Amino acid sequence: MSLKTLRQDWLSNVRNDVLAGLVVALALIPEAIAFSIIAGVDPKVGLYASFSMAVVIAFAGGRPGMISAATGAMALVMVTLVKDHGLQYLLAATLLTGVLQIVAGVFRLGALMRFVSRSVITGFVNALAILIFMAQLPELTGVGWQVYAMTAAGLAIIYLFPYITKAVPSPLVTIVVLTAVAIALDLDIRTVGDMGALPDSLPVFLLPEVPLDFETLRIIFPYSLTLAVVGLLESMMTASIVDDLTDTNSDKNRECVGQGVANIATGFIGGMAGCAMIGQSVINVKSGGRGRLSTLVAGAVLLVLVVFAGDWVARIPMAALVAVMIMVSIGTFNWTSIRNLREHPASSSVVMLATTVVTVFTHDLAQGVLVGVLLSGFFFAHKVGRILHVTSRSEDEGRERTYRVSGQVFFASADRFVGAFDYREVIDRVRIDVSRAHFWDITAISALDKAVIKFRREGTEVEVMGLNEASATLVDRFAVHDKDDADMLLGGH
Amino acid sequence: MNMDNKVLACVDRSPWADHVADYAAWAAQRLDAPLEFLHVIDRHPERSSGQDHSGSIGVGAQEALLTELSEQDAAFARAAREQGRVFLNRLRERAAAAGAGCIDTRQRYGELEETLAGQQQDVRLLVIGRRGESAAATQRDLGRNVERVVRALSRPILTVTDAFRPPRKVLVAYDGGGVTRRGIDMLAGSPLFRGLEVHVLMAGPARQSAPKDIAQACAMLVAGGLEASSHIVPGDPEKVIAQYAASEGMDLLVMGAWSHSPLRGLLLGSKTSDLLRSARLPVLLLR
Repeated sequence: MSLKTLRQDWLSNVRNDVLAGLVVALALIPEAIAFSIIAGVDPKVGLYASFSMAVVIAFAGGRPGMISAATGAMALVMVTLVKDHGLQYLLAATLLTGVLQIVAGVFRLGALMRFVSRSVITGFVNALAILIFMAQLPELTGVGWQVYAMTAAGLAIIYLFPYITKAVPSPLVTIVVLTAVAIALDLDIRTVGDMGALPDSLPVFLLPEVPLDFETLRIIFPYSLTLAVVGLLESMMTASIVDDLTDTNSDKNRECVGQGVANIATGFIGGMAGCAMIGQSVINVKSGGRGRLSTLVAGAVLLVLVVFAGDWVARIPMAALVAVMIMVSIGTFNWTSIRNLREHPASSSVVMLATTVVTVFTHDLAQGVLVGVLLSGFFFAHKVGRILHVTSRSEDEGRERTYRVSGQVFFASADRFVGAFDYREVIDRVRIDVSRAHFWDITAISALDKAVIKFRREGTEVEVMGLNEASATLVDRFAVHDKDDADMLLGGH
Repeated sequence: MNMDNKVLACVDRSPWADHVADYAAWAAQRLDAPLEFLHVIDRHPERSSGQDHSGSIGVGAQEALLTELSEQDAAFARAAREQGRVFLNRLRERAAAAGAGCIDTRQRYGELEETLAGQQQDVRLLVIGRRGESAAATQRDLGRNVERVVRALSRPILTVTDAFRPPRKVLVAYDGGGVTRRGIDMLAGSPLFRGLEVHVLMAGPARQSAPKDIAQACAMLVAGGLEASSHIVPGDPEKVIAQYAASEGMDLLVMGAWSHSPLRGLLLGSKTSDLLRSARLPVLLLR
């Protein structure tokens, strides 16, 4: 890392980075509180987490200008852990998540992202948006009309205020106005203060109070693994979104390690695990944030605001937060994907829908992505398996036949390969020309064996010609038809 | 003509680009090599012009933002491309008039040194101006790109400052070190200075082996078809070289460049930088 890169990452865009950082900090506060509530912990856990994630990632991350904080995706994963075992286990899980992410970064597992197709990513994003929206429903059920009125007014301000001026973040205006109204009218509605403790001091270093034994590990490991996967997934996804938006490159493996370091730091100051945020990063770029400074400012300002204005934060009505979160959910959802459902190939749409549906029903983004990845692999194998053509021509006055095989022979197309030959033809000699085919796996090799041996069984001589180098290596190692004892197989066992 | 080994002239939209074009055309002619003009358009994706601090994201926020930002970039790129094309064509005509044979122009986005480092494998000689577009605005007497570019490349680099004067007398600053010794090899084998008057000058504290070293170097150059003569002048190299060049009316200086780390240059000052600043004649830097 040269001095020049450092300068470029930090100081090339100071004014806009600072302004964007301020905007992001203001937008982060309601989200951090809301996500803490989703996870079932005090708002201060999410606020501390957002501060430390943002500040640490500013230095350690691989994607300048990307915002990391406490996120909905991570909060959703940890709900049952908090419910069953409490906050201390969450902190321990956060530390372990960081360790796992660092390991992933060191072993360059960021490259695995290429197996996650665009449809899976779209499904993930949509599921995330739906889950964030659903998490707001408890605040909107069984409450008085005042809450609905407040939420509606909040949404109106968020979307309409930018038409008046774009200089002030409209979510902030919403919060200020709704808080003022609630205090002025002395409305009896829920406020942030009712949801749990807010930060009253700067965060301090602390160790999670959990027994250091195998039992603890057994409890937290599954959660940590899911958290690590979901966190990296969303971070890598956000990084490529920011890459696209700014037309620059990022260091994905450094980002993995950075996420890990940030989560470890977060765990030690009593924060919940976090990752990169799509919505906030888009807001940051939109507001002109490009460098690491924007992330640092966002985190630092967030903490200062919350610690020194804690009394006021406690009086924010939940309805205002709900409005902000509905905006986040609407902004996160990929609306074009609905229109594309009909235009895209059916397999892509199925993958997208499956990812979304599985995630929404299991509340587990990792499971949804796993299903999506498996499905897209399945569809891909199916498609490629169809690229296999066998043509034939008889030669030497019907004494010989040459089959020309072109395409991919592997587990998904092996049966078609075997079925493409006419074994009952009365003929002296068969040539199988595979110079335009590729044999990928041992299923393909055994299919070739099967075809050759079936021909021999009819007393036909078989010649396989034109194997490419990779296929020939496989044949040498695994095939039986070209070995001396191939005849043994004719009679079966 | 060897197509793999081109003369690359790195130009920007400064008045110095004309001088660069002239020297590059001269070098391409002598080397019988194709000439390529490269204009690197600096983009600064790390800077932004964000005005929207509304902090709200609506339906399709990401796509809308992507479209908006790409349109901004595209508008900038179109303007820059068109302007660049016009001045590159002017330089191409200038070089063609000066007699260079095969001339190509190319514009690339990116950073100067990265672009050059990526392009250098088929470059035989790089020609750049010692000052560039921003020189008019700043008071620096050595362009900010020059040292970085030279350090990033492993090819001979001709740096020019003033209007073109067909080189007849070439001064080679020789210190007996590895860089310059390899440089002598290179010069002896190259048609660039063939038939020109070459003065091999050794400056600095007198050493015993100096006469032998320098005689060897001269012999090598003579064998390569150059008219070499040797000179040993004691004293501070920077002053000696500058004075010698002025008093003997030399047209071009050849020297090894920046063999030490940037850190050392920062602490002790760099002989190369000093010479590039003080000398008014074109300098061929050997790496």
